[in-house]
Amino acid sequence: MPAEPMLRVSHVVKRFGGLTVADDVSFDVPRGAKMALIGPNGAGKTTMFNLISGVYPIDGGEISLDGQVIDALPARKRIGVGLSRSFQNIRLMPHLTVIENVMLGQHVQATSLASLLAPVGWQRGGRWRRMAEERLRQAGIDVDPDSAVSGLPYGVRKKIEVVRALMSGPRLLMLDEPAAGLNPRETAELSAFLKGIAEDGLTLLVVEHDMSFVHDLCEQTVVLNFGRLIYDGPTKGVQDDEAVREAYLGTRRVATAEGAGRAA
Amino acid sequence: MSGTAATLKKPQAALSRPVLIGAAIVAALAVAVAIGGKVIAQQIVSGLMLGAIYMTVAMAFTLTIGVLNFLNFTIPTLFMLTGMVAWGLVHRGFLSFAGGWAWLLALVIGVAVTVVASLIVERFTFRYLKTKHGDATEHAIPLVSSLGFLLIFEHLVLIAMGSEAQRFQIPFKADIHFFGLVLGGAQLLSLALAVAIVAVLTYVLKHTRMGRALRTIAESPDTASLLGVDVTRIVPVVFVLTGLLAGVAGALFTINYGDVSPFMGDHVGTKAIAAMVLGGLGSIWGAIAGGLLVGLTETLSIHYFGGDSVQMVVWGLLLAVIILRPQGLFGTASIGKGKM
Repeated sequence: MPAEPMLRVSHVVKRFGGLTVADDVSFDVPRGAKMALIGPNGAGKTTMFNLISGVYPIDGGEISLDGQVIDALPARKRIGVGLSRSFQNIRLMPHLTVIENVMLGQHVQATSLASLLAPVGWQRGGRWRRMAEERLRQAGIDVDPDSAVSGLPYGVRKKIEVVRALMSGPRLLMLDEPAAGLNPRETAELSAFLKGIAEDGLTLLVVEHDMSFVHDLCEQTVVLNFGRLIYDGPTKGVQDDEAVREAYLGTRRVATAEGAGRAA
Repeated sequence: MSGTAATLKKPQAALSRPVLIGAAIVAALAVAVAIGGKVIAQQIVSGLMLGAIYMTVAMAFTLTIGVLNFLNFTIPTLFMLTGMVAWGLVHRGFLSFAGGWAWLLALVIGVAVTVVASLIVERFTFRYLKTKHGDATEHAIPLVSSLGFLLIFEHLVLIAMGSEAQRFQIPFKADIHFFGLVLGGAQLLSLALAVAIVAVLTYVLKHTRMGRALRTIAESPDTASLLGVDVTRIVPVVFVLTGLLAGVAGALFTINYGDVSPFMGDHVGTKAIAAMVLGGLGSIWGAIAGGLLVGLTETLSIHYFGGDSVQMVVWGLLLAVIILRPQGLFGTASIGKGKM
C-alpha cells in the first residue's frame, strides 16, 4: 500500500447543535481502492459524504485528498482537486437535457470567460460533447442525449448522475447509494461499469445498503454507527463482526432502499 | 427509442398553445384593421413599438426571477438612470465636444452607468445577504433592499437634476412611410435591438457553459456549487445583463418619446411586471409575448376607450389571464425554481 492514501479522514468531528453526527471518525481510502461506507439508517454516512465534499464545514479533525488538506476549500473547489460525488436523492437538473446534465460535470474545466461564453458545440470540434456521449455509451445508457431528464426512468437517471460525476475527471469518486432503486440487472451492469472505471485508476468510496452489491464491488468496508466508526477492514469480515451485527440489531440483510428525505 | 419519442412530443406540446394564442390575437387584430382601417393599423404598429420597450424591461425582470428567484425592484430605476444620466450629460454641457453625436455618446454612457449601478445593487443586496446568511434566494430581504435602492437612486437623481420632466432632443427625425403607415426610425431600431438582445440571450442560455451554469443555478444553487459552478462569479453576470436590458430599454424609450424624468421608470416598470406575469415568470418568450401584448393593449385601449382606461384594461387583462392560467401564457406550473 502506498504511503499516502487517496483520501484520509482524520479525527473528524461534526456537531449539529447538541447532536454529534461525526464523532472522531478516522479512516483511509487507499489509492485505487474500492471502498464501501455502510451503516444503519442515521449512522451519518451521507453526513460524512457532505463533510468530505464540503457541503458542511467540519468542527474538528482534518480531511486530505492525496496528501493535500482540503477541509478549508469551498465545495466548488474540491471538485477541481479531483473529488467528485453523486447524491442519494438524484440531483440532476430536470429542465436540462441528458447531455447538458452530463456536460455540466465538465464545468470545472471551464475557467476563462472565453470558454464560458464560447458555444459548447464548437469548442475543440465538439470534443466535450463527444466525450460526454462516449461516457454515456460506456455506462450503457441508451437514451436520446437531447431528451429532457425529467421524463426518464429512475434507474437511468441514477446512472446519468454517476456519469456526470465522472465527467470532471476525478481521482476519488464518491457515490451515495448508486444502486438504490435499480433492478438486479441494472445493479449488475452498474457494478461492472464501476469496476471498469476503477481499473483505470479511479478510487471509489461508495455508500450502499445493498450488501450483495457491496460484496461484489468493494474489497474494503468501513462501518459507521451513530457517527462513530465501528469497523474498518475487508468486506468479507464485516458480517461476522460483533459490533457491526449489534449495530444492525442482528439483521444480516439490510433494507435496500432508504427514505430519501432522511436528515443528513 | 422512448427518449426520441419524448423529445419529439415536447416541442409540439410547448408550441401549440402559443401558436393558438398568437393566431387568435393576429385574427382579432386583422378584424380590427378591417373595420377601423389605417388608423387602427397605425395604433397596432405604435403598440408593438411600445411593447418592444416593455418586453426588454420584462426580460430583465424575468431573468432575475428565473435564475435567482428574486424580484428585482431596482429595474425601473435602472431604466430611468440611463435616460436621466444621458440628459444630464448633454444638458450640463459635458459632451459638447461630441457635436452632433453627443446624444448617442450620452446614451451609451447612460447604459454603462446603469450596468455599474446594477452591480452595486448586487453587491449590497444579493451578495451581502448570501455571504451573511447563506442563501439570499430564500429571503424577502433582497426584495425589500432592492425597493430601497429604487427610492435612493430615484431621489439621488431628483436632487441632482430636479423633478421635472425634460426633453431629450434627437437631431433627426427618421420616420419611414410604409403603405401609408408611419414607422418611427427610432422605434424600428428599438424593435430590432430588442430582437437582437433576445436572440443573444437565448443563445447564451442554451448553448454556452455560462448559460448552462445560469440554468443550473436557477434549478439548484447548492448543487451547482457542488458541481464546481462558481455561483458568486456567475450571479453578477445576471445583474450585468439586467442592467444592460433595463438600460437599453431606457435608451430606446428616450430616443422614441424624447421625455425623461426621475419617475419615467415607474410607469414602464409596472407595465413590464404585468407583461412578465402575463407571459409567465422566468420565461424569456413569455416576456416577449407579454411585453408586446401589453403594448398593444395600451395603445388600443387608449384609442377605443380613452387614456383614463389604460390601467384598468391592462391590469384587467392580467387578472383575467392569471385566473384562467395562473402560470401565465408561457410559464410552467412550478413557480419558484428552475424555469430558464
